[in-house]
Amino acid sequence: MFRSTDDFFATGIGRFATVLGVLLVTVLLWYVATTVTGFIDANRLPRPVEVWQSLQAIATDGYGNGRLHQHVLHSLKLVAMGFAAAVSVGVPLGLAMGHSKRIEALINPAFLLLRPIPPLAWIPLAIVWLGLEDASKILVIFVAAFVPSVINSYTGVRNIDKPVLEAAQMLGIRGFSLVREVLVPGALPMIFTGLRLSLQASWTTLVAAELIGALYGLGSILNQAAQDIYPAMIMVAMIFVGICGAATTWLLGQFERRAMPWQQKSVLQ
Amino acid sequence: MSALKVMTDRERFTLTCVGTAGFFGLWYLAALLQFAPTKFLPMPHQVLMKLVQLCSEPFAGAVLPEHMWASLKRYAMGFGLAASVGVPLGLLMGRFRWLDRVVTPIFDSLRFIAPVAWVPFAALWFGTGIGGPTLIIFAGAFPPCLINSYRGAKGVEVRYLEAASMLGIGSFRTITDVLFPAAVPSIIAGLRIGAGLGWMSLVGAELIVANSGMGYMIVKGQSAIATDIVMAGMIAIGAVGVVIDVALRKLEKRLLRHRQQS
Amino acid sequence: MSAIEFKNVSRSFGRDGKDVLVLDNVSLTVASNEFVAIVGPSGCGKTTCMRMAAGLEFPSQGTVSVAGKPVIEPGPDRAVVFQQFALFPWKSVYENIDFGLRAKGLDEAERKRLIAHYIGLMNLSGFESAFPHQLSGGMQQRVAIARAYALDPQALLMDEPFGALDAQTRVVMQEELVKLARKNPRTVLFITHAVEEAVYLADRVVIMTSRPGRVKEILDIKSIREQEQWDQHARVEDVMDLASFVHLRTRIWKSLREEHAGDPEH
Repeated sequence: MFRSTDDFFATGIGRFATVLGVLLVTVLLWYVATTVTGFIDANRLPRPVEVWQSLQAIATDGYGNGRLHQHVLHSLKLVAMGFAAAVSVGVPLGLAMGHSKRIEALINPAFLLLRPIPPLAWIPLAIVWLGLEDASKILVIFVAAFVPSVINSYTGVRNIDKPVLEAAQMLGIRGFSLVREVLVPGALPMIFTGLRLSLQASWTTLVAAELIGALYGLGSILNQAAQDIYPAMIMVAMIFVGICGAATTWLLGQFERRAMPWQQKSVLQ
Repeated sequence: MSALKVMTDRERFTLTCVGTAGFFGLWYLAALLQFAPTKFLPMPHQVLMKLVQLCSEPFAGAVLPEHMWASLKRYAMGFGLAASVGVPLGLLMGRFRWLDRVVTPIFDSLRFIAPVAWVPFAALWFGTGIGGPTLIIFAGAFPPCLINSYRGAKGVEVRYLEAASMLGIGSFRTITDVLFPAAVPSIIAGLRIGAGLGWMSLVGAELIVANSGMGYMIVKGQSAIATDIVMAGMIAIGAVGVVIDVALRKLEKRLLRHRQQS
Repeated sequence: MSAIEFKNVSRSFGRDGKDVLVLDNVSLTVASNEFVAIVGPSGCGKTTCMRMAAGLEFPSQGTVSVAGKPVIEPGPDRAVVFQQFALFPWKSVYENIDFGLRAKGLDEAERKRLIAHYIGLMNLSGFESAFPHQLSGGMQQRVAIARAYALDPQALLMDEPFGALDAQTRVVMQEELVKLARKNPRTVLFITHAVEEAVYLADRVVIMTSRPGRVKEILDIKSIREQEQWDQHARVEDVMDLASFVHLRTRIWKSLREEHAGDPEH
C-alpha cells in the first residue's frame, strides 16, 4: 500500500500514530525508570501514578488555597487582563510609530531605554510599588506583553509595500480610513506575530510573579509544592502551565485565521 | 501622509531630544511632586548615584561587579549548553526524518511550559548554586536554538544536497560542510533570540532560587524597600543584556560578511 | 489646453554626498485625451517623470502641472497604474475598485454602476469577490487598470504596467488597452522600455536620452496610424507586421541604440 515508510508518515493517520507512539514510549520509559526499577528516586521525579493522584487531589480537594480550576481561572484572568491592556496600548503606539517618523523619533528614546530591561526584572519593582496583589502581576504582564506588541506593529507598518501606500495616497485615502483599511490590515500578519510573542511573555512573567508570591494561581501551586517538596504536584502545575499556554496560543491562532480571510490559500486559479 | 514626507535630520534630532527630555522630565516631575514618596520613586540621578555606589559598597553579600560575574557565569553555562545541544540536534532533525519524528512530539509537548516553571524541579535536581539556574536558562534559550537550526537545515536548497551526494560526500561531512554553513544565518538568528530569552530566564531564576547575582540583588533590594537599588539593578541587567546582543550582532556581521558581498 | 505639462523640469538625487542629476531640463506637454508614451534606456528618469506627475516625487527645478494646476500631492485626479499592481491584498476585486470611489464620496448606486461597468469592460466578471493573490498577474493588472479608469481622472499615469507580465499575457493586455483607450479616450502618460509597446499604444512617443534624461525626440504616431489604418487590425502581430509599424519601430530602436553607444557599460 505504501511504497516507503515516508509515504506512510505523510498521511494524517501516520503522523498521528507516530506522535502517539513517541509519547507512549516516553511515558513507558518514565514508568519503568521510576516505578519498576526505581532507577530514579521518586523524591526527584514523581511516579506516573503519583502525578495522577495529585491531579485528583487538587481537582477535588484543592491544594494551596484552592482547587485546580480556581487556580487556572485566576491565572487566566491575570494574563487576559495584562495582555489585553498591553495590546490595546502597544499596537496603536507601534502603528503610530511605524506610520509617522516624527512620532517614532519622539517615542523611541523612552522605548530604547526601557526595552532592554527583561520583563522579569520588573517584578521586584512592581512588588515594591503595588505589593503582592493582583495589580502588581498585571503590571509586570503588561510590561512583558507591551514590548513585542509595539515592535511588531511598528515593523508591520514599515513592511507594507511602498506601492500599496502610494496607491492609497493616489486614491485619496486619508485619516481614519487609511488607518482602518490600509495600515491595520497591511500590518496584521506582523501584529499577530507580536501578539503571539506577547502571549508567551505574559505566561512566563505570570508564572515568575506567582512563584515569588501569590495566594492563587498556577505559579503559587509550583511555589507551595516546591516548599512542601511534593514533586508530583510540581509536575501537575507544570503540565497545566503548558496546557494553558498551548490553549491560549491556539485560541489566538483561531482569531488570526478569522481576522485575515484574504491569506487563505485557494485553488481558484 | 506624514510617513512619506521627508523629515530633515535636524527635525529628527530635535524630536529625539524632546522625547528624551520628556521621559526624564516626567520622571523628575512625578518624583518632585511627591507622586510617590522618594523611598518608592527615587529621581534619575539618585538611581545613577546608587548604581555607582553599588560598585564599591557591597549589597546582598557582594558588590555589583561580583553579582554581575555570578550572573554571567550561570548565563554562560546555561546558554552554552542550550546552543551546543540545540544547534546540532536541530541540524540532525533537519537531516534525518526519523529523529524529527521522535523528537518533535516530545519537544512540542514541553514547548508551552514557561521556562520559569522549571524552577522547582531545577532547585530539586541541581540545587540553587549554579546547576539549578543553569537548567532554567537552558529551558529559556534552548527552543529558539533548536527551532532555528532545524528550519535552517530544512531550508537548504535541495540542489546543494544533490550536488553533495553526486560528489560522493558522506553523511557526516554533508552535515558539517553543506548543511551547517547553509543554515548559519538562521542559526545565528536563533542564537540571538535564545540569548535574549536566556537572559530573561536567568533573571527569573535568580529572583527565585539563587543567593548571588543581579536578580538576587534586586529581590533583596525589594525586601529592603530600597527602590533605588532595585532600579539600579534593573539598569545593570538591561545594560548587560544590550552588551550581549551587540556582541552577537557583531558576530553575525562577521560570519555573514562574505555572503552579503556576493 | 494641455492636460499634463512639464516645464523646464530638472531633478537630482543626493547619493553618497554627491548630487546626481537624473532629469535635465525636460519640457513636455500632453494634450487632453492624448496617449503619450515615454521610452528610454533604464535610469533615464522616465519613471521619475511619471511619479512627479502623480505627486509622489517633486522636481528640483521647474514645474509640473496637470489641468493647469501645479502638482503638490498625490490625488485621485491623477490615477496611477503601478508596475507591481499595488492592489490591496486584503480587499476583494470589487472592494479594490470601490475603495477610491468611496473616498471620492460617490453614492452607492453610482459606485455600483461604475464598478459593474469596468468589471465587464476588463473581463473580470465572476471574480468580484476574489482576493488579488487568487488571480494571475494579468488579471491583477486588469483590476488595477479598472480601478484607475473608474476614478475618471484628469490623467492616467502608467508606469510600465505590463513589465511584470509574461510575454503572452502582455500582448493580450496591450490589445485590451488599445481597445479601451480608443473607446474611452483619456489623457495617458505611459512609461515603458518596450519600443513595440510604445508604438502600438501611443499617439506620440517621446524618446529620452540616457542619464541625465533629456527629451531627445518626439515622434508622431497617430497621423501614421490613422493614415495606414492600423486600427482595422484587431491583433497586435498583424499591426506589427505592417511596413509603417516596422519603420517606426526601427527608427526608435536606432535612436535608443545611439544612447547605449555612449554608455561605457554597453
